[in-house]
Order: sequence, then C-alpha cells, then structure tokens
Amino acid sequence: MSKRNQALVICGGLGIGLLVSAVTLMFVGISAPDLLNEFIFSIFTSSRSINAVLALAAPLTIVGLSAAIGFKARFWNIGIEGQVIFGAIGATLIATYDVGPEQFRIYLMASMAMLFGMAWMILPLFLSVKLRVNEIISTLLLNYVAFNFLLHLLYGPWKDPETFFPNSKIYEKSERLNNVMGLEINVSVVIALVFVVLMTWLLSLSRFGYILKFVYANSKMAKSIGIKVVLMVSIAALISGALSGLAGFTISAGIDSRLTQGFFIGYGFLGILIGFLARNNPILVVIFALMMAILMVAGQSLQVFYQIPFAMIQLIQAIIVICVAASEFFIQHRINIIK
Amino acid sequence: MTITNTYNRDLPATDNVAGTVLSLKNIVKTFGKFVALDNVSFDLKHGEVHALLGENGAGKSTLMNVVCGLYTADSGTILHYDKPILIKSPNDAHNLGVGMVHQHYKLVKPFTALENIQLENGTGPYKASLDRLNAKAVEVSERIGFTVGLHTPVGQLSISEQQRVEILKVLTADAKIIILDEPTAVLTDSESDNLFTAMRSLAASGCSVVFVTHKLREALTFADRITVMRNGITVDTVLPKNMDANVLANLIVGESVVESPKRSKVVTTPKIMIDRLSMADINGVQVISDLSFNVSSGEIYGIAGVGGNGQNELVSILSGLLRADVGTIELDGYGNIEAAKPIELRNYGVACIHSDRASHGLANDLNVDENFAISGVLAGEFGKLVVQRRRARAAAAQAIQDFDVRGVRSQGQKAGLLSGGNAQKLVIAREFSRLPKIVVAHSPCRGLDVRASSAVHEHLLAARDRGGAVILISEDLDEVMLMSDRIGVMSRGSIIAEFEVPADRNKIGKAMAGNA
Amino acid sequence: MDFLVNWISIVPQFAVPFALATLGLIICEKSGVLNLGAEGFMLMGAMAGVGATILTGGPYFGLLIAAIAAGFLSLIFAFLVIVMRVNQVISGLTMVFLAQGLTTLVSTQMEWTNKSFVGIGGLNFGLLADIPIIGRFIFGHDIIVYSTILIFAATVYIFDQTEIGLRIKAVGENPEAADSAGVSVLYHRFLAVVVGCMLVGLAGGYLSVVVSKIWVDGMSGGRGWITIALVIFARWRFWTAMLGAVLFGCVEALIPRVAAIGLQVPQYFVLMLPYLATLAVMIWASLGKNSSGAPAALGKAFVREERS
Repeated sequence: MSKRNQALVICGGLGIGLLVSAVTLMFVGISAPDLLNEFIFSIFTSSRSINAVLALAAPLTIVGLSAAIGFKARFWNIGIEGQVIFGAIGATLIATYDVGPEQFRIYLMASMAMLFGMAWMILPLFLSVKLRVNEIISTLLLNYVAFNFLLHLLYGPWKDPETFFPNSKIYEKSERLNNVMGLEINVSVVIALVFVVLMTWLLSLSRFGYILKFVYANSKMAKSIGIKVVLMVSIAALISGALSGLAGFTISAGIDSRLTQGFFIGYGFLGILIGFLARNNPILVVIFALMMAILMVAGQSLQVFYQIPFAMIQLIQAIIVICVAASEFFIQHRINIIK
Repeated sequence: MTITNTYNRDLPATDNVAGTVLSLKNIVKTFGKFVALDNVSFDLKHGEVHALLGENGAGKSTLMNVVCGLYTADSGTILHYDKPILIKSPNDAHNLGVGMVHQHYKLVKPFTALENIQLENGTGPYKASLDRLNAKAVEVSERIGFTVGLHTPVGQLSISEQQRVEILKVLTADAKIIILDEPTAVLTDSESDNLFTAMRSLAASGCSVVFVTHKLREALTFADRITVMRNGITVDTVLPKNMDANVLANLIVGESVVESPKRSKVVTTPKIMIDRLSMADINGVQVISDLSFNVSSGEIYGIAGVGGNGQNELVSILSGLLRADVGTIELDGYGNIEAAKPIELRNYGVACIHSDRASHGLANDLNVDENFAISGVLAGEFGKLVVQRRRARAAAAQAIQDFDVRGVRSQGQKAGLLSGGNAQKLVIAREFSRLPKIVVAHSPCRGLDVRASSAVHEHLLAARDRGGAVILISEDLDEVMLMSDRIGVMSRGSIIAEFEVPADRNKIGKAMAGNA
Repeated sequence: MDFLVNWISIVPQFAVPFALATLGLIICEKSGVLNLGAEGFMLMGAMAGVGATILTGGPYFGLLIAAIAAGFLSLIFAFLVIVMRVNQVISGLTMVFLAQGLTTLVSTQMEWTNKSFVGIGGLNFGLLADIPIIGRFIFGHDIIVYSTILIFAATVYIFDQTEIGLRIKAVGENPEAADSAGVSVLYHRFLAVVVGCMLVGLAGGYLSVVVSKIWVDGMSGGRGWITIALVIFARWRFWTAMLGAVLFGCVEALIPRVAAIGLQVPQYFVLMLPYLATLAVMIWASLGKNSSGAPAALGKAFVREERS
C-alpha cells in the first residue's frame, strides 16, 4: 500500500479515536461547543496555553524518541520512567552539590542526566543480551525500584531543608532551563528539536541506521552477514536510556525547577505510545507528542473548570491508541469478499 | 535410465475402473494479481495412484490445497463420483474423505502421536476417543506395515517417523482420497520404496492416492497416471508406460533445459580442511560427530544425505554462526578458522548460501538494493559515517543486471516480492560479487524452477572455475550427482563415505540408508 | 518463633492474588496470546469488586462482578490481538493504561474511593485453628483460599484430560496445525483470553474486597507485572505457578514485619523487595539451559496463510 494511503488510514483511525473520545466526554457532561472551545480554540489562542503545551511537548518528544530508537532495535524499553527518574536524580545531584562553575552547570546537569539514564539501562541490557531475560519485565521492575529510591532520597537526604516537603531544594537560576532569549518558549523545546534532528540523521542517513534496519528486519540474516547484532542492540538501548534521562532533566530543570515526587508519572507509557503511533519515525514523534501535550493541557483545564478527573485524559489517550492500532490492520491486510 | 528398487508392482494397478472419485474442472485461483491456477482440470480414478508432476511454482500444491479445503477456488466445479460439491473448509474436505499429508508437517511437537491424531480426528468423550483412535492406529499400522511409537512426543521422532504419524492421522480418519505433497523430500530411496508400497496396498484396498512431486523418476516409477502441470495450467495427463523421460521433462518445462555435468579441469591443493568436528546440541545429542573432509581449489565437493543428519549444523559452523565443541577448520593461508565470526569469515573470502532464504538470505521487508548493498555498507565501502546512497543504489543496479535478477520494477521494491528464483539470484549477487574463494551452498535450488536452478548452478560452476572451493550440500541426489567433482555422504553427523565421480547412484543410496 | 508463625499464617492471603492471576495468565498464554495487560485486568477486577460490594452489600457478589468486569475488558484486548492482529506487547500495555484511566474515572465519579466496607472473613474451623504452629496456617482462611486450590486442580484436569485443553494447547503451540485439523484458532484463543483474564480480575477483586476491604487508585501496586514474571518462572506449568505465588506471598507478607522486628533497613529499600525478588527470580529462571517452556506460538498473531 502506498505511503499516502497508509497515512490516510492512520488518520482515519485517529479520527475515529478522537470521535469516540469526544462522545465519551459528552457522555460525562461536556457539551459539544464547550469541547471545541477547550480543545481547539483556547489552546491555540492563549499564549499561556501554547507555552504550556510546548513545555510539555518537549519532554514527551524526547521520551518518544527514546522509545522509538529502542523499538528500532526490537528492544522494548518499558523502563523509560525509571530512566527519567534517574536522569533527574543525576541532574539534581549536580544542582544540589553545586558541582562545577556556574556557567557550565546546566550542561553538566544535562550530561549527568543522560549518563544516569544510560546507567539505569545497563543491567536490563546485560540481562537481555547475556541471559535472555526478557527486557520488558526487567526494565519495568526497575521502574519501581527507581521510584522507591527517589522517595528514599526525597524523604531522606535530599528533603528540602527549608520547607521539609518531600522534594529537593529549588534549583538556582543557573540550574534551570529558562526561556529562549526574548521569546516565551522554554529552552527545553530547542533541546527536543535538536535531538529530533540528531535522531533523524542517525536513523535515516547514517551507516549505523542503515545497518540497524537489518537488525530490525531480520536479525538472523543480519548475524549471517556479519552484523554484530548484540553491539547494535546495545548501542540503541543505551541511547534510549540516555534520552529518557535527558527527558527527566528537562522536566525537573524546565518545568518544576526541582526534583519532586511525581514528576515522571505517565511519561513511560506516553513515550511508548507516542513511539508506537509515530511508527518510530522521529518527525512523527514530534507530531504525536504535540497531540498528547494538547490533550494533557486541555485535560488540566477540564479538571479545573468541569471537575472531570484527569484520569479521563488517560482514557482518551488509550482510546486513541487502540483506534490507530486497529486501523493498522487495514494496512497489513486486504479484505477479500468471498462469494 | 535404469531404476532398480524394491517397489512392489505386483499388486494390481487399477486402470479399468469403478468410477472417477474426484473430478476438478476449470479451477481458477488467484492471489491478488497473481494467477496460481488458470482453468485447471484434474481427475482422480478410484483405486489409482496418480502423480501430479511439475516443477516448483507450477501450482500443484495450490491445487491440492483447494481439494483439502485450505484454499477456496475463485471459480470452477468439483465433482465427487459425478456429484457436484463445494469444498469451503478443511471440515468439508474431511467429510468427503480427503486426507492430505503436507510437505511441511502440521504436527504439534510437544504432543504424542496419539494426541496429534486425537486433535485431528477426535470425537465424543475424550478418554473413549483416545482409546478408540489408539486401537485404530495400531490396526492401520499393521495393515500397511508401518511402525511408529504412539506415545512419544512427536518432536523427538525422526522425520520419516513424523511422516508416518501424518499418514496415520489421515488413515484413522478413514480417508479414501489420500494426497501426499512432496512425500519423498526427506526420505532415503529405500524409505521411499516402503512408502509407495504402502500406498499401493492402500490403493488396492479401495483408496485413491495422489502424490505431488517434482521428481520425474518418482512419477514414472510409482504412478498409474501422471498429470503434468506448468505455470498454473494442466499440460497433459499421460500413462507412464508410454513415456520417455526426456519427453516428460519437456512437458514439465515447456522447453529443453538440459543440464549436463561439467567436470572441473584443474584441481589443485586442498584449500579447506575440515578435521574431526564434533558438536552436541542443547540437549546433549551429538549432531556433528567426528566429521572430516577436504576440498581443493577448483573443485565442487558435494555432500549428499537426507535432511536431519547434521547438515544445518555443519553449515552454521562453516558460516560462523555456531561453534563446534571439538575439531578444526583449516583454511589455506589463514590457519584454523573454526572460531571465526561471520564478519571475519567474509573477510577471508568465505561466502555462504543458506538453505532458508527467508531466514538467512534476505530481509524481506527491505528494498532490493538495500539487500544487495548491505555487505558493502557493513564493510564501509559506501562511507564510514554516512551512507552514500546514490553510489550504493548504482552498485545494486549494476549487480542486478549482471546477475540477471528479474522482477525488480522499481528501486524501492521490497525484496520479499521477488520470486524464489530471483530472490536467490539476489543473494548470489550479493555473496558472489566479492568473488569468494570458498563457497558453502546449502540446498541452493530448493523451491526454484528448472531455469532458475540452472542459473544458480552456472554461478557455482563459475566460482569453481575461478579457483574457488565449493561445498555443495543438498538433499537432492540428482543435483549432487550433476554438479560434484567428488561426493561425500553425510549421515548421523559425519561423512561416512566418499565417492569419486562418475559415481554409482545405488552405492550412494545404500550409503545414505546405511547407518540405519 | 512467634514471628515465623505469624508470618507464615498470613502468607496464603498474600499468595492467593498471585496464584489466581498467574493461573489466569498461563491459561491465556497457553493459547498463544501474550498478555502484558495483567496489571490492568487486576485493577479492573479490584475496582469492580469494590463497586459491586458497596452497591449491593454482598462481597461474594462483588468477587463475581470483579471477574466478569475483567472478562468484559478482556474482550477488547482479545479483539485487538486476535482479530485485528495488533502487536501484542503494545496492546497489553495499552490495556493497562486504559484500565488505569477507566478505574480512576469510574471510582471517582461513583465515589467509591477510600470507602471501607465489610469484606469476607475467615472460615470458622473451630478448634482446628488452635493447633500449634500450623493451625492458623492451614485452617485460618477465607473460602477463596481453599477455592483457589480447587480451581488449580480443575485447571490441571482440564488441560491434561479433556479435548478442550488439548485444543487450547494445540492452538498455542502450532496454530497452523490446529487450523488444519479443523480446530478454530479464533474461538479457542478468545476462550482462553477471557477465562484467563477473568481469573486475573478475580485476583484483583480478592485484593480489594477481601484483603484490604477498600479501593484506592492503583490498588494493584505492580502485582500484575510480578505475575507476568511468575509465569516465566513457572515455565507455564500450573503447580509451579502455585509455588511461585506462595514464594511471593512470603515476600509480601514479610515487608510489614521487617520493621516490626527492628531490622534497620531504610523503609523504601524494603518496599523495593518484591521487585528485586522478581528480578532475581527471572534471572534464576533464565539460567537453566533447557527451553523456557513457553508455548511455541506465544506472541505471534495467526494468519491462515494465503501464499506460502
């Protein structure tokens, strides 16, 4: 099926998903004009909404990229949340102990975040490659371990010394991601776009990406021709971990300005869903990340103005994924009517 | 052709007949744009053994799949004893008394033979059904002279034993129309004889048997009538006693494609020496057992043997995918390469054509030129960091032309859309354009028609004449005898006999069956 | 000694959810359908069980509804993976996401959250429960605990001694062979998925209706994921699954007791215990050189081949 028809089918699935979601929302008591208002008009007309959407879309894009590059090597990174947590922990480490000269600290934080995220991937990667332990479960279990470690830090050694709340002390100005000079857009958006470009280059133009395609398409054949499949998968998985760590940094340094208890919640699933919907294409990741961000910002106002619990948005996101996934069926198979 | 075997032809062949069991008229079957069956007609008489003969891709299996309900014909009529019927599902075929023994066995490996039979034919309360089928299977086995353990997991049985389970499945269902799809692909000559003797006695007792084959000799030896198919049409139905092998070959291919042996002119010193290889699998079973042979430059060494005797493992070791436990592989100028990884072997000049194209040869979802260019990309020939795609595409286009890979309509076409023959040519294009010095070819012509097979053979001969050492492992004894300069027989994981060429087929056949 | 007795006698209650859920997953996966949505079906069962109990006042009815609700949800999952042949990993994960949203939404709207109620108490065995050491372990539990053993026995019987068990196994090992034999892959996979998920829902219902007697968001707390690991540990064998469940029941029962005996382990590290234990179990299960025991066709969609 041609690429154009494929895109049409996906859009069709998306459309149906949005329709079902709209119906569900109407069921819960929101009228149609209100829906249109919340989801379309206010989002695009208020500059504060646009900023909120972009600020959210940046980390969503990065986790989407993380999931995508994992999938491109058939490595299911379900541990995105754990890596996001450790990324933020790495960044906070630099911030809390004021490591390095002030002008470089933010770069140090970003690098440490990527390093920590990558490090949290090493155990599941090793287990998968050496012992054939399924990475889906191992990365997932480590999410829970990371979460508990985070709580340990926040209720313990890193508890805010002034407020005694379970979050870290607030970052200094040099340790935050601020807005791009002159504009109202956070630097994290720029970071996200930079990595979209990098990933596009890596997957479409580089030699690594060319070889990775074979690892994905037929790993037996790849091995036979001499591709070092284990090395390729490892590199992809580690990049995935690093990206998730980076996302953690953009959330804590860009949105919260500190390390909090629940900053990471939802990014794991969303990353995977975005990666899946985008079929691992970095450019499409941006589009679906924006879509999810819009849903979430709209969801927040639904919560405030209409008392609809935020879980509704989760439901809508799931419905959309189901409809798009189901529509893929029509791309893969042709229905023949048997007379 | 002299064919000597123990096939029992004394039982009466029924050609004056009680009736036409099955009659297919003008069957059409298409898959998308591809026409697999184009107005095919075929009839089966009561009590006969009928061969459906044609090369790979002729449509024989497709036709039989229509008969057993796995495919539904687009149009055409089917008559059962002159009554029109519809076969829309495997159940309909079942009820008609059709039983098919597929080429790729449909057995659930962890189940016992009895459980597999139960799955196929069970009715009524479970325990009672099991007992009933057990008794029936025993009775049928005795009637046709088979033995097979009913209570071992089928995965642990040998291939010919598995085939017997498939046949029992069919017979315990009281099948009256028995279809065998390429039944002798994995049997020795003597096992084939036994099989057809059993089929003959079944036919004598009132069943009708169809066997699908691409082997001319087999059709002439065992069938009462032969129907030849080619490219989705039925060419003719003939009686074997009136047929000459060459005329029949012509009918199959539609032209004369005769391959004759081209023996090597120059054979020099041994290039590759495999010495006392042994390897056990995960369960501790010795799959390669003290295996040794040498191949010289400018020589094709053919390894004959029925599948399942360690050929797959040998190829995996030779291509660097598996390690042997013991033994060496000496490559002239490089020492022991047994431990070398696939990429190192490629650099030494070893090329491998695996038997399973889809698994090891090509990435079906990727483009034709990507499938060609990957080995160059891997070696860094098209750039170290970024791939110069235009150069890669140009190299691929050139190779596609040089190696006569047809059916490539656009550069972006997926490799999976190529026909079997062209896909194999693409693999050869990739492997042979580096002018390898050692070639390991495992069943390179499996699933290919005569013309494509001939082209593949040309490439092997060219590699040999360039001074290469070619190891040809094939289950097709005809192919081995045609191509080889020396022949080794592989059985139970080792080379048990070697023959100089020209070789006596019977002696080879005996050696193959020998270690039973 | 008291510590040991106290610990062991409460293990069955913690083991039951793992046991029922693992059993359900194995049934589902024996037919070849990989089910990563266990956490979601457990949540669904937990919420539905609480909701039904609050609405009707009948905890046993609540358990029934827990199973049925999870069964209904599983129809979506089954349709996605069996009919539409969507990737089974993504579908399972999406089910969890869906269930999280759905359960939070419904329980908030219906105000079931944090409402406690009377659940199901232990059966009264009279004097038997007073037998030293093992008395409370064997005789101190509610009827579900004992029913679980019966359910296991029934499942083993069905899979070993009946036609339907044979067919489900066939469909999971070699669906082409089963299809060729006239066995409906679609029907048997649907059956295994729905029944399996009903058991997972029942496990969730047990957690909320019997053990905690309350519903909070995210009640299942990751047990669904542990169950998935337990299936691998059990090598898809039923009684081994029971063993794994008991093991994890022990681990879970231990957590509140660690502090009680004065072990100076930081609180959150103790909470990591079940997950680290699961990881250890997975590693141990992978160390064996033999085959994993997984059904051969697990995770692969079945298409009747139109062109081989």
